[in-house]
Amino acid sequence: MSNSTTDKAVDSDLLRRLYQFIRPYRWYVLLGIALTLSAAFMGTVRPKLTQIAVDEYIRNKDFQGLLWIVLLLIGALVGEFLLLVANTYLTRWFGQGTLFNLRNAVFKKIQSLHVQFFDKNPIGRLITRTTSDIEALSDLLSDGVVNIIGDMFRIFFILYFMFSMSWELSLVAISVLPILFYATFVFKAKVRVSFLNVRDQISRLNSFVQEHINGMGIVQLFNKEEREREKFKDINAAHRDAYIETIFYFAIFWPLVEIIASLAMALVIWYGGGRALMGQVTFGILLAFIQYVRDFFRPIQGLSEKFNTLQSALASSERIFNVLDTENEITDPAEPEKIGEVKGEIEFENVWFSYNKEETVLRDVSFKAEPGKTIAFVGATGAGKSTIINLLLRYYDIDEGSIKIDGKDIRDLTLSELRSNFALVLQDNALFSGSIMENITLGNPNISKEEVIATSREIGADAFINKLPNGYNYELSERGQSISMGQRQLICFIRAMVYDPNILILDEATSSVDSETEETVNKAFKKLMEGRTSIVIAHRLSTIQGADKILVMHKGEIRERGTHQQLIGKEEGIYRKLYELQYKDELLPTVKSE
Amino acid sequence: MGSLQKLNQYFKKYKGTIILGSLFLTASNFFLIWIPVYLRRTVDEVSNINVEESPDSFDSIIEVLFNSSASWVLAKNALLLVGAVLLSGFLLFATRQTLIVASRKIEFDLRNDIFDKLLKLPQRFYSNYDSGEVYVRATEDVSKVREYFGPAYMYTINTLTRMGFIITMMIIVSPELTMWALLPLPFLSAFAYWVSGYINDYSRIIQEQYSTIAGRAKESFSSIRLIKAYNREAYEMQRFEDESESYRKKKLRLDLVESLFHPTLNLLIGLSVVIVVWKAGQLVIEGQLTVGNILEFIVYVAYLTWPVASLGYTVNRFQQSMASWKRIDQVLTEDVKIEDQAHTDQQIDHINGTIEFNDVSFKYPGAEEYALNDVNLKVEAGQNAAIVGRTGSGKTTLIELVPRLFDVTEGEILIDGQNIESIPLQLLRESIGLVPQDTFLFSDTIGENIAFGTTNATQEEIEEAAEKAQVRDNILEFDKKFETILGERGITLSGGQKQRTAIARALIRDPKIIILDDSLSAVDTKTEEAILQHLRKELKGRTTLMISHRISTIKDADIIYYLEDGTVVEQGTHEELLEKEGRYSVMYNKQLIEQELAEI
Repeated sequence: MSNSTTDKAVDSDLLRRLYQFIRPYRWYVLLGIALTLSAAFMGTVRPKLTQIAVDEYIRNKDFQGLLWIVLLLIGALVGEFLLLVANTYLTRWFGQGTLFNLRNAVFKKIQSLHVQFFDKNPIGRLITRTTSDIEALSDLLSDGVVNIIGDMFRIFFILYFMFSMSWELSLVAISVLPILFYATFVFKAKVRVSFLNVRDQISRLNSFVQEHINGMGIVQLFNKEEREREKFKDINAAHRDAYIETIFYFAIFWPLVEIIASLAMALVIWYGGGRALMGQVTFGILLAFIQYVRDFFRPIQGLSEKFNTLQSALASSERIFNVLDTENEITDPAEPEKIGEVKGEIEFENVWFSYNKEETVLRDVSFKAEPGKTIAFVGATGAGKSTIINLLLRYYDIDEGSIKIDGKDIRDLTLSELRSNFALVLQDNALFSGSIMENITLGNPNISKEEVIATSREIGADAFINKLPNGYNYELSERGQSISMGQRQLICFIRAMVYDPNILILDEATSSVDSETEETVNKAFKKLMEGRTSIVIAHRLSTIQGADKILVMHKGEIRERGTHQQLIGKEEGIYRKLYELQYKDELLPTVKSE
Repeated sequence: MGSLQKLNQYFKKYKGTIILGSLFLTASNFFLIWIPVYLRRTVDEVSNINVEESPDSFDSIIEVLFNSSASWVLAKNALLLVGAVLLSGFLLFATRQTLIVASRKIEFDLRNDIFDKLLKLPQRFYSNYDSGEVYVRATEDVSKVREYFGPAYMYTINTLTRMGFIITMMIIVSPELTMWALLPLPFLSAFAYWVSGYINDYSRIIQEQYSTIAGRAKESFSSIRLIKAYNREAYEMQRFEDESESYRKKKLRLDLVESLFHPTLNLLIGLSVVIVVWKAGQLVIEGQLTVGNILEFIVYVAYLTWPVASLGYTVNRFQQSMASWKRIDQVLTEDVKIEDQAHTDQQIDHINGTIEFNDVSFKYPGAEEYALNDVNLKVEAGQNAAIVGRTGSGKTTLIELVPRLFDVTEGEILIDGQNIESIPLQLLRESIGLVPQDTFLFSDTIGENIAFGTTNATQEEIEEAAEKAQVRDNILEFDKKFETILGERGITLSGGQKQRTAIARALIRDPKIIILDDSLSAVDTKTEEAILQHLRKELKGRTTLMISHRISTIKDADIIYYLEDGTVVEQGTHEELLEKEGRYSVMYNKQLIEQELAEI
């Protein structure tokens, strides 16, 4: 079972919850921070070393000393390189690990949720939660946190070295920072607004293009080429102008940063030059300061970038945690009863059900299926046939009444035990991408290859499978599009048979099966039902004429019951009309044009 | 290279701006190199002035900075440095405002040209290409080509001029030191080229794996019932986890290269600086250079690194721009066939509306099988013809041939006895009001969507058309009435409202021929009956082709064609066809039973 922590404090800090996923890596995070610290030191110590080189050795004409300091510089350089590589990879590594765990947790959670959750949330949204929302955390987890700390270390070390050489000159040098902060602040605000505009214009332009590619036929039919050209020009111009506005801000900002940095250099050289004249500041210090001033700007810019990353990551993590917090509405009972292998008696007693409060889908439905017998449901689309399946497998819980298997209420059993008694053959979505073998066993290790082959021989599907390239290892494309409808159905039949349950639920395919496989399918169908309690939702009435009982559903109620012979005899009966409807269709001579 | 020449044509219009921008950039780099020069001068001049050591007090520093023989030297150099940096900065601003702005303007032209082409391309083109692919060419590819005109061009000029100036200055100071300092830079360029190429290729692989993950999630979530029924959650989880793991691994491989990138740049740049300190240090000790030169060189190297690294990146960008341009060029050179041709008879200026198909066969471009086979039919002007048949029998294909969305493969279509290929295309389409099956409406106001059918429609005309199509009352219920915006950013109409809006769009043209492709399928039979009753008045006097699945809609037609597998298999009036007791009568009887069932 899932190890979902039953934390009631849903509103607890998002970061703390994110930390739960980082926790397994916490020692690596600490290691990363240690590496960052060392790298920051080695990166910032180099100007200090050049100061020593100039003041101690070059001035004193000490070749030997210069060589030593150069070796030290190279050591620091290579050391920083190694630390940076190790650290970047390490943070990426645990970042990807965290994302991996998070992604799997979200998938697992969604998959475990009740079916109604899938009705309410479009598949596209669920995919977004498992993919792009997780991806949005990537920047934060793999670069963000450690780099923010790294940038702060760098700033700290630079200040430390500067102040240790000359506090006065340091103050002079950093006096330009308020201008930088202010400029950055104004720029970020302006650019934010104008980027929003750009984004708007891009999506306007793109959706216009998209729409017109799709609707080009209409444009041409209505002779609207000229007008649409003009319209596009306007949108295109707005798009261009939006960009030109951001170009303006960048055109001001980047040179401005350069100017501010140079201003700091000018101040250093002017004030430092004066101090140097007084013999209080050495040339080495000037040299080091010029380098520090340039280095100082990068981490400050970096920090302001990281802040945006953090914000968008938090927005995504909120959506992710919303999914993880979703309550499962269909759960196992607290004290489940054991049922073991069932005989297969199914009973619906006065069942009422609605998917949403407004519309009742089943009204007072009662029926009983004896073990080993076949019971068929027929009716027009929307009559409530498929709902019977949904309730029997407990995809949804009923509003009133009860559903029993071998006399036990299905709500008293665990979901997995209940469902293990059924084999389900659905009309759609029944196949996955993967080999035929995988599609039959669904990865169940208890089903041997021999069993599968024997079963498919039994129902006569072996021949067609062997004809496919690679036979049972033939890779199906998504939903099995690469083989015919009838063949797909046969594979689903084999699957149901190898699982060998006592109750079979079969939602017959709506689309007609190709004539080549039809006979095989019909035979297989009979084999499948042998000795099992079978619930069949029939679309082609010809297949269920032999059913022990036929229930005619109409507008949520069971309106007629009986065998085929009994029902067909009712003059104004629904079954009879349905039968006529299909009979008419089958009468149609199929003309094959050559 | 003809293709590249064609691309460079787009530069032409902005030649002046681009030359000016290049000059700005060159000048900006020219002033930039004065910054290290003034740094050096300050240091050198300060070391030549010998002032006796003075006590460390605030007063004396003021004295030195503002009121001594040296203060002029210090101030002059600092001010000149600020002056140079201001000039350089301003010119850089001017560069971006010219070069990058020009690239956006070129992009604008390019986009217009492509869209223009899209408007001209026939439906044959659209059925041949995947619409997603056309979309990418008209959007993403253009953005990539823009980089060629903008950043790629700017960085190239920047790298060339800056390297030119700086290396010249460096050589003037010391050719030997220059050689040493530049040593790591070619590696920098090559490395940047390699990494940006690797990132590009590998990102594609990662993107694919990302799609695989999304695909797995999609498959599992959409088959959730089956998975639950067979208790296969754990298995599905494992499969997802495997893909997720493969994604992690692939991502980490890219991460490895990326984690090499910045540190390596850092290493190579740092190496340049260390070499300068070492070699220049020796030269200073030997008395050939000054300490100021060391400072100067360190700054030179700092100024060179980014342009040199960007060189590798730029080459890569250039290659991608070219790949995108090739794809765009393919669209631009695609030939436009359905337009009027030599045998178009420009004398024809009027259409009455008699439609005749003579042994028409049609095959979609690239298709193996014929969608239509020897179709013969004739609808007199003003007649009402219905086309019925199962899905896929060729009904829609048939009506699409009339306004020449496609041209016939064999046979001919005549209107008023003239082959439609000799009727001017503009006139032909003007005379037809088609309401397509998918009722495509644009994300625009409802009024604009209706007015789409004609030019300069007045509000009265729009409302009148809406009234005729029985959608006016619905529209007036919206807050903004005819100004209501549809689509993504607006409201969604119901299927029936959409269809009726599309009918209004066709009616406003006042066409001689009207074609309805299952145009009332989204409303129930009763509503349809009511709408049709009104509509019939409007359709009187026009030739009408109507596809429908409902007998009630078509039973009054002058002639009914039953299509099967692209061929007309039954034809006649409702009564005649019922007497035949063929496919049409089976279809009729089925609908009768369905109706009865619904009423139980």
